[in-house]
Amino acid sequence: MNTTVQITRVGETQWQAVTDDVVVGHGDFSQRPDGRRFVSIDVWDDAAFAPLATAMLAALPAPLRTLVAGGDTALAAHWERAGFVPERQEWEYELSTAGRDGRPAPGVTILPAGTADEAELRLLERQIRAEVEASSGWYSMPAEVRPGPPGDTLIDPSLYAVAVHEGRYAGLVRVVRRGRGPARVGLLAVRAAHQRQGIGRSLLAHALHVLHEAGTGTARAEVDRSRTAATALLEGLGAERTGHLLHLIHP
Amino acid sequence: MPRVAKGLELEGTVLECLRNATFKVELQNGHQVLAHISGKIRKNYIKILPFDRVLVELSPYDLTRGRILFRYRN
Repeated sequence: MNTTVQITRVGETQWQAVTDDVVVGHGDFSQRPDGRRFVSIDVWDDAAFAPLATAMLAALPAPLRTLVAGGDTALAAHWERAGFVPERQEWEYELSTAGRDGRPAPGVTILPAGTADEAELRLLERQIRAEVEASSGWYSMPAEVRPGPPGDTLIDPSLYAVAVHEGRYAGLVRVVRRGRGPARVGLLAVRAAHQRQGIGRSLLAHALHVLHEAGTGTARAEVDRSRTAATALLEGLGAERTGHLLHLIHP
Repeated sequence: MPRVAKGLELEGTVLECLRNATFKVELQNGHQVLAHISGKIRKNYIKILPFDRVLVELSPYDLTRGRILFRYRN
């Protein structure tokens, strides 16, 4: 095989690798609403990876990030040779919705999805995001900051169930169902002042109970590997690890 | 720019999730291929599940292998 690879930027965010007049690779760049820049490269010919990476790194401002499935050691090695280093890892979990007791912990009331006061829910979500940003940083969360109106990251209030504790909105869970497949627990969070009261567990158990009643048998979730409280919560409810995702960064 | 050949893109349905983010996909023409997910799908946290309708790019070197480029809304 002729190993001469020609790299061309074919769009504002896309690169292409060509060998012998055949497209053997693509590079793609995107920027998330929170400002993080991500790249991806897919090749049919391994020889195309390094030239694509070199061209993209030369054209894009650092830092750049990429994601690799935990078992894909070949792809991870390509990125590491291009100068990327591990930033963090996420566990992927799957858990059954069957046999859940939807009753919350003492002192906790759960407002089912779609029943919370929207203004209070939005305030809660902003408070939680501010607390996360002031501590570990939102960048370390698996959940994406979704595009929406400026300053508004709560796109569909009807997806959120809310926990009330000591008369205040204290935590929330967002669950998304899609077709016949597993539902996704997209966000589960409790305000700092209300943690360690069983609120997270109550929210998750409630969400699983509702899913089961609606005929969804399985839910999925991703958790940053360093978040021991979150992994303990999921594993305590019988969640099984189904894989992991490696986040790499080019500083 | 000289004309270049791109990989063939076909629609298919995911039959099975295998290890290491690999999927068995049945194409509209009845052929089955082993497909990885594209980096673009991975970085957007799009999950691929059995019964999903997907767009697959076939390898120019091996028509039994492919890459999932897009997941259609079912």
